[in-house]
Amino acid sequence: MKKIKSRGRDKLKYTLSAWLIMLPGVALFIFFQWGPLVQSVQMSLYETRNIELVRFVGLDNYISVLKNHVFIQALANTFSYTMWSLLIGFFIPILIAMLISETARAKGFIRTAVYVPNILPGLAAIILWKAFFSADDTGVLNILRGYMGMESMAYLSEYQLVIPIIVVIATWKGAGATALIYMAGLSGINPQLYEAAAIDGAGIWQRIRRITLPAIFNLGSTLLILQIISIFQIMYEPLVLTMGGPDNASLSLMLLMWRYAFGGGTMEFGKASAVAVLITLLLTVFAILYSIMNKRKVTWE
Amino acid sequence: MKKEYFEESSDGSLKNSSAYAKVKVKQAPERTGVIRSFDLGVPGTKIGLTVVYILCAALVLIALFPVFWVIMAGFKDLRELNSSTAIFPSSFDFSQYTTTWDQSGISRTYLNSFYVVAGSIACALVVNGMLAYGLAILKPAGYKLIGRLVMLSLLTPATISLVPLFMNIQRVGMGGFFWPLWLAAGANAFFVVLFRQFFESLPFSIIEASRIDGCSPLQTFFQIVMPLSKPIVVVITLYTINAAWSDFLLPYLVLGNSQWQTVMVRLFILSTQQTINDAVVLRTVVFSMIPPILLFFIFQKKLTENAISVGIKG
Repeated sequence: MKKIKSRGRDKLKYTLSAWLIMLPGVALFIFFQWGPLVQSVQMSLYETRNIELVRFVGLDNYISVLKNHVFIQALANTFSYTMWSLLIGFFIPILIAMLISETARAKGFIRTAVYVPNILPGLAAIILWKAFFSADDTGVLNILRGYMGMESMAYLSEYQLVIPIIVVIATWKGAGATALIYMAGLSGINPQLYEAAAIDGAGIWQRIRRITLPAIFNLGSTLLILQIISIFQIMYEPLVLTMGGPDNASLSLMLLMWRYAFGGGTMEFGKASAVAVLITLLLTVFAILYSIMNKRKVTWE
Repeated sequence: MKKEYFEESSDGSLKNSSAYAKVKVKQAPERTGVIRSFDLGVPGTKIGLTVVYILCAALVLIALFPVFWVIMAGFKDLRELNSSTAIFPSSFDFSQYTTTWDQSGISRTYLNSFYVVAGSIACALVVNGMLAYGLAILKPAGYKLIGRLVMLSLLTPATISLVPLFMNIQRVGMGGFFWPLWLAAGANAFFVVLFRQFFESLPFSIIEASRIDGCSPLQTFFQIVMPLSKPIVVVITLYTINAAWSDFLLPYLVLGNSQWQTVMVRLFILSTQQTINDAVVLRTVVFSMIPPILLFFIFQKKLTENAISVGIKG
């Protein structure tokens, strides 16, 4: 009887000390992650002044955010970012990976070089590209235009060009790392498949279509959805490059949130949170689509 | 076989041996892609391979040229930057760099960045490690809930909770110093998951043995589990260095224009000012890139390998 009791006490002691070890982590997660997530929802329902919640206003913040014509534009822009990122950002890493896999000499060097943009601090890379796209005659791209006898151009002030340019910059930064993942996928293909296909008379293009691309299909669909989720939150690039301009043409939803909170000096945290919650809802839709796709993937195999 | 023959023979053939080795590399480069060695005889394949190499050269150029360009641009003074269309500066004048280094107080921001990085590493390893240790090995009653919540934060984007996080930091009066940045590194869901996966693969008998020998759970963590987990500790340290060095949004909100601003905060503030000298901005860009590039070339293999394994799991 005494033994059982002491064993019970031991177990309690064990549980307590285990939780004590986990406590710093749990506390920091509450402060930095879980708390803010809940507060985001709460704050979106309140009128705020500086960092204080003033009074409960129900869905007023949402209504005023949605009524603002800028929101619709930011939403449309965000979808435009996503679309361009699918056109540019999705295929280029696959192409890079396939090209590098075909090389035999200097492969290590090429792989390292292509990865370099990824290790640069994001902000430094963006400012670097700002100088490339500078409107002055000495912006690097304008120098190139000059050689071809064309007038200088203010790329980042072009209403139609600004989003594709930002996507190109983001792709330059990230493509090397994504390509590396695809290369790992490609190196997992059994070489005997290619040999067997060649014996059966399949040319190089047919092997790419029938073996290579199907082999990285699953990887591609996973990376695709991750890419959509990350491009949907694009903020740093337009913030540093254009501040959302010209005339809100590059304003993304996240940047709109930043503007409400820290942009105009007004600190409209309630409305900023409403935007944040709306973004989260949209991302949740993507996540659900992703899990549905994942289920289908299993049956596909 | 042939190689051995050359090496065994007299002095003069040593040259032959190395020449043979070169030829051998040329004749049979390891092909890992769609184009196999047996395709090389097919007409057109050689041309195709040439195109592949040209495209790869273009990729290398596109990836590296901007970095090269900004370093060159840093040698130019403002007048030259705004008038010259040449890539190379008129003179390689290091005083441009040293002047910017001294006048913009970059050495101080560098030091601050190193503080942020050092504290972040400590927090990232100890706090995330202990949480993962609880989830993977100790498993006290109710640990599953925490595990699920950590997975949830892995999926929710961090920037979404930026506003309430900023409010919380202000409320508890942590603004203006490194504390929020250090502690934020201790709440990284990705690191917890990495640690947890690694800890779960450790042989349980060792942990059990240390318990029987009278180690407390905390002692076991620091003296047994962490030393056994060197590979993942290295990886998480490298990730933390990169993230802590490169981040600018939370540091900007927390540190602002104070004496504790980091390199990236400095760069962000510079880039938002209209009046600032562009040449100074570009030189600051170069300064901000140096530590990550050095780190990359030292730990190149670790970083790229892990990008792969992490990417596949994610």
